[in-house]
Amino acid sequence: MPENSGTIPDTPLFDRAGSIRGYRLNKMAMALGQAENRDAFKADEDAYLTRFGLNNEEKAAVKSRDWHEMVRLGGNLFFILKIAAVDPTPITQIGAAQAGMSHEDFLYERLGKKRHG
Amino acid sequence: MARIIGGLGTSHVPSIGAALDKGLRDTPDWKPFFDGYEAGKQWMREAKPDIAVVIFNDHGNSFFLDRVPTFAVGVAETYQPVDEGWGPRPIPAFDGAADFSWHFVDRLVERHFDPLVCREIEVDHGLQVPMELFFGRPERWPVKVLPIWVNTIQYPIPTPQRCWEMGKVLREAIESWPGDERVVILGTGGLSHQLQGARAGFINQAADRAWLDGIAANPEPYRAMSREDYVEQFGSEGAELIMWLVMRAAMNEQVNLIHKHYHAPASMTGAGMVVLENAA
Repeated sequence: MPENSGTIPDTPLFDRAGSIRGYRLNKMAMALGQAENRDAFKADEDAYLTRFGLNNEEKAAVKSRDWHEMVRLGGNLFFILKIAAVDPTPITQIGAAQAGMSHEDFLYERLGKKRHG
Repeated sequence: MARIIGGLGTSHVPSIGAALDKGLRDTPDWKPFFDGYEAGKQWMREAKPDIAVVIFNDHGNSFFLDRVPTFAVGVAETYQPVDEGWGPRPIPAFDGAADFSWHFVDRLVERHFDPLVCREIEVDHGLQVPMELFFGRPERWPVKVLPIWVNTIQYPIPTPQRCWEMGKVLREAIESWPGDERVVILGTGGLSHQLQGARAGFINQAADRAWLDGIAANPEPYRAMSREDYVEQFGSEGAELIMWLVMRAAMNEQVNLIHKHYHAPASMTGAGMVVLENAA
């Protein structure tokens, strides 16, 4: 979804346009809620993505775990998080990719996480 | 009639459940968060409710974008925890307050709401995590649940005013129910967070703290706010806070703020809770 789809800067709302654009990508990710689909994804990612009709641009974004690009293509975090579950990635790392920050800077500067010890 | 014994507001961040699953409760990142909930758990132990009404949103687990109900109500006998991609979680299934749920559905439709009525559906962290925060990890949940799903994922999401009106009908349904059950209402979601866009990681601690006091003492401004105001103040996913309004509207105009807790960040979220009781 475009970053300018709403009136609040840098804050895309998942509206009609995003929902339509990301439909296949999100449907593919949603299906990873089932164990057999996770197995299929792990066994042959390309074949799995083809099964859901993803185009080359979408496939490339998924295969490179480019979270920023997946969102740009209409991916909604709640769905694409299931890719992060198959291939463990902390949500804060996905957040950092959205914000264009290093993971470390994102945790301590953006989120205000406290340093322990 | 059944009786409202408390209104609770709480975050439902999935990482909370994951932290419990991984035994991270007492780690430096999580301990201050969980410690703050102890008062809420204690309150719940003493309150001994029979039914928990849980207002939450699905996060792309039980509903896909092929059909997006603005409001849905569960009338099932039992609700299994859904596999969100990490595999099944070690928590028991939830027994449904099916008879009371149907009564609520009847009352909603009489009052011109049009809910999706769900006979067979699984529940995600939006319901699981609040239950774990207030009831711990029992072998069996000590209450039956009435789940209410609110769409906060795909726009248009419902207006704050509409959530408020649903809370009024919820109260009517509780008070017109012939049983003598003790009912707690859990409004869940928030507090401020944003998962998408360059503003991802946005947390507004000042707005969150104002919310925890304001939802108790003076909710009127929050009912009047637009959805865009919520997104601006609390982040795109922080707009989930509209679901607390269902709970608040079901309570008396005057409530006592019994417990309050705030912690940030919990994962990527400003997180916290309130425990409210109706004032005499």
